[in-house]
Amino acid sequence: MGSAEALGKDAAAHQKLKMLRERLESDIVTADADIVARYSTDWHGDVTSSALAVLRPRATEEVAQAVRACAELGIGIVPQGGRTGLALGAIPDAPETQVVLSLERMNRIRSLDPADFTAVVEAGMVLEAFKEEVAAQGLFFPLALGAQGSCQLGGNVSTNAGGVNVLRYGMTRELVLGLEVVLPDGRVLDGLSRLRKDNRGLDLKQLFIGAEGTLGIVTAVSVKLMPAPEKVATALLALDSLEDVIELYRRARQQCCDLMSAFEFMPPLAFALAKEGIPDLALPLEPGHEAYALVEISGSGFVDTDVLMERFLELSMGDGLVRDGVVAQSQAQARSIWLVREGMNEGQARRGKHLRTDLSVPLSRLADFVTEAENSIADSLPGAICVSYGHVGDGNVHLNVLPVPDATEPVDDQICRAKAVLNEVLDRYDGSISAEHGLGRLKAMDFGARVPAVQRDLLEAIKRAIDPNLTMNPRCQIVLN
Amino acid sequence: MKVLVPVKRVIDYNVKARVKADGSGVDLANVKMSMNPFDEIAVEEAIRLKEKGAVEEIVVVSIGVKQAQETLRTALAMGADRAILVVAADDVHTDIEPLAVAKILAKVVEEEAPKMVILGKQAIDNDMNATGQMLAALLGWGQATFASEVVVEGEAAKVTREVDGGLQTIEVKLPAIVTTDLRLNEPRYASLPNIMKAKKKPLEEKTADDYGVDVTPRLSVVKTEEPQGRSAGIKVGSVDELVAKLKEAGVV
Ligand SMILES: Cc1cc2nc3c(=O)[nH]c(=O)nc-3n(C[C@H](O)[C@H](O)[C@H](O)COP(=O)(O)OP(=O)(O)OC[C@H]3O[C@@H](n4cnc5c(N)ncnc54)[C@H](O)[C@@H]3O)c2cc1C
Ligand SMILES: Cc1cc2nc3c(=O)[nH]c(=O)nc-3n(C[C@H](O)[C@H](O)[C@H](O)COP(=O)(O)OP(=O)(O)OC[C@H]3O[C@@H](n4cnc5c(N)ncnc54)[C@H](O)[C@@H]3O)c2cc1C
Repeated sequence: MGSAEALGKDAAAHQKLKMLRERLESDIVTADADIVARYSTDWHGDVTSSALAVLRPRATEEVAQAVRACAELGIGIVPQGGRTGLALGAIPDAPETQVVLSLERMNRIRSLDPADFTAVVEAGMVLEAFKEEVAAQGLFFPLALGAQGSCQLGGNVSTNAGGVNVLRYGMTRELVLGLEVVLPDGRVLDGLSRLRKDNRGLDLKQLFIGAEGTLGIVTAVSVKLMPAPEKVATALLALDSLEDVIELYRRARQQCCDLMSAFEFMPPLAFALAKEGIPDLALPLEPGHEAYALVEISGSGFVDTDVLMERFLELSMGDGLVRDGVVAQSQAQARSIWLVREGMNEGQARRGKHLRTDLSVPLSRLADFVTEAENSIADSLPGAICVSYGHVGDGNVHLNVLPVPDATEPVDDQICRAKAVLNEVLDRYDGSISAEHGLGRLKAMDFGARVPAVQRDLLEAIKRAIDPNLTMNPRCQIVLN
Repeated sequence: MKVLVPVKRVIDYNVKARVKADGSGVDLANVKMSMNPFDEIAVEEAIRLKEKGAVEEIVVVSIGVKQAQETLRTALAMGADRAILVVAADDVHTDIEPLAVAKILAKVVEEEAPKMVILGKQAIDNDMNATGQMLAALLGWGQATFASEVVVEGEAAKVTREVDGGLQTIEVKLPAIVTTDLRLNEPRYASLPNIMKAKKKPLEEKTADDYGVDVTPRLSVVKTEEPQGRSAGIKVGSVDELVAKLKEAGVV
C-alpha cells in the first residue's frame, strides 16, 4: 500500500498523515489511492478531488477521537454519508489537507420502540435499510427519495432532505426528535431525546439539521415513526399544461381528505428520459402529452384509497382537466409508475454533464416561473433542453438544463450561463436557490451573494461559536476561509 | 368466438406475506389484494386476441369472496366485456380449492359456451397449478398449458409451451383450455377512461349454490410456516481463508 498512497502527497501532507495514524487505530485510517478516489468523487462522477485520507470510525467514541486528532493537527474534516448529496457538500475541496470522515460503519439501529413510535439509529445506516427494518415491525418511516438505496440517515439529517412525501409528512426536520453530535472540539452532544414535546429552552438540534456537516458530525438520530399505510393508490395522469397540474393539485388538497402523500409533476420529455435510464421499462401511458402528474393517496384503517382516488379523478376527467391516465392495479404497477419518475433522473445523468437545479417559489407562481425561466433559457442558449419536474405541492422544481450538444461553447460555460439566467428570474419570483438539496460547496458562493447582511452575521457568529478554527467541512454553506 | 377468463383475487405479489399467529394460514386482514399475475396475463391475451379479430367477446369470472368484484372491475377496465362473480365464501381467508373452482367453471362453460378458456397456470397464493387441467378433464376438452404464445387458426389454436427442455409447439382443437406462463405477454395498465367505462359494464352476481357445487374444503391445512431466513454471511480476509472456509463447508 505504501507506495500507492505516497504518490503525489507532499512532505507536509505525508507528515500529517503519519501523525494521524499514530493517534488512531490502524483500521480506521485509509490512504489507499483507490479508496480515497472513490470517497472523493460525487454521485454523478462529475467532480473528483482528493483527500489526505478516509476515516471510517465504528462508534461515537471513535468519531470523537478522530475529530480530536484532526483538531490537534489542524486537519479539515469533510463528514460524509452516502455521497448522494447534489451540492458537493461531502466532497473535499482542498487536496490533501482534508480528510473524509465516513459514517458508513455506524449503521446499526440502537433501539426501535413501536409503543413510542420512535427509533434511535446510527447516522451511517442507509435509509432504505432502515425503512425495511421499520416496515418489518409494521411501522413506517416516511422519508422517501430516489437515492434512498444509498443515502444515510446522517446525510438526510445534515441536508434536511425532502423527497416525495414532504407534502404529507414534512421534511427530515419534522421527523427528528433528537441527535447525538460530535462537536468540532471532540465533545459529544448527547441529545437523543425521544420526547415529542420538549420546550426546555432553545432547541439546539435544529442547528445541526440542515447544517451539511459544518457544525459537527451527527453520529446518531432519534426519529419519529408512523403507522404503516396499508393502502396506497397510485395514478399517473396526463394533462395539458403545468397550470392544469397545479389546478389538479388544488383540487386534490380539497378532495382527498388530507390523505395525499405524493404529487409530482413531469415534463413531456419524461418518458423518453425514463426509457434512456431504464431501457426495459414498460411505459404506463402513451407519450405525447404536455404535462404529467404522479399522484399517490395512502391511508390505513377504514378508508378505501382506491375509491377516493377514483372519485377524485372521475370529477377531473369529467370536466377535461385530466386528459388520460392510469391507476395502478397492483403494487408492481405502482412500482413501475414510480420508475418513470426515478428513471428520469437516471436518463438525465446518461445525457452527460448538465445544470441541475433545485428551486422553490410560492406555489401560486410556479407555472409562471417555469414558463418565464424556460423562455429565458431558450433565448440565451438556443438548442439547450430544459427538463422541469419536481414536487408540485412544495412549490419545488428541478429545472435542469441539458447543454447544446456539439456547441463551440464548452459545456461548463453553458452551464454557468444557464445558471445565471435562471437565478436572475428566480430572484424576481422571491424564490430559493436550494429547496431541498442544501448549499454545499456548489451554491455557497451564490448564496453568499444573496443573503441579507443580518442573516449572514448571525450565520457567521453561530459557525464561529461552535467551530472557531473552521475545520468542520470548510467552505461548505458559508465561505469564511 | 367467445373467451372465458377466470381471474382470482390473491395477496399482492409484492406484499411480504405474514403467517397468522395460530399458524392456520397467511394473514390477509388489511393486506393489499390484486389480480393473480398469471390471470392478468390471461386477460391480456384474451384482449389481444380480440384486437386481432379472433375473439368477439371476453367474459371474466371470479369465484371467491364478494370483494373479488374489484378484481373483476380491473379485468373490465383492462378490456373484458362482462363479468360474473360467483360468491362462494364470506371470509377472505377461505380458499376455494381447485376442484370446486373447476366444477363451477365447468357449469359456467356450459351456460356461456365459450370456444376457449384462458386461465393462469397457477395462483400465486397456493401455487396449486391444477384448475386448468381439472377443468379440461371435467369438460373433456384439449389443454395447452404453460403457454408462451397463442395463435388462433380457424378451429384450432397453435400454442407454444414452456417445457423443461425449451419450447414445444402444439396444436389443440377448439374448444380448448389454455393456461398462461409468465412470458406470454406484458399486461396493460387500466387506463382512467377505461376504469370509468368499466363501472358501466355488466357484472352478474351468482353463488356457488346457483351452480349446485359444494365448495366445502377437502384438504385441511396442517401448518403454515414462514420460510427460514437466510443466515448472515461472513467476511473473509483473504483468498486462502475463502478456500479454507469453502472446504470446511464441503463445497470444494
Ligand atoms: C437520484 C437522487 C435523488 C435524490 N432525490 C432527492 C429528493 O427527492 N429530495 C432531497 O432532499 N434530496 C434528494 N437527493 C439528494 C440526496 O440524496 C440527499 O441530499 C441526501 O439526504 C444526502 O444523503 P447522503 O447520506 O448521501 O449525504 P452525503 O451526500 O454524503 O452528504 C451530504 C451533506 O451532509 C453532510 N453529512 C453527511 N453525513 C453527515 C453526518 N453524519 N454528520 C454531519 N454531516 C454529514 C456532508 O458533509 C454533506 O455536506 C437525491 C439524490 C439523488 C442522487
Ligand atoms: C387557559 C390556558 C390554557 C393554555 N393552554 C395551553 C396549551 O394547550 N398549550 C400550550 O402550549 N400552552 C398553553 N397555555 C400557555 C400559553 O397560553 C401559551 O404559552 C401562549 O403561547 C402564550 O402566549 P402569550 O401571547 O400569552 O405570551 P405571554 O404570556 O405574554 O409571553 C410568554 C413568553 O413569550 C415572550 N413573548 C411574548 N410575546 C413575545 C414576542 N412578540 N416576542 C418575543 N417574546 C415574546 C414573553 O417574554 C414570555 O417569555 C395556556 C394558558 C392558559 C392560561
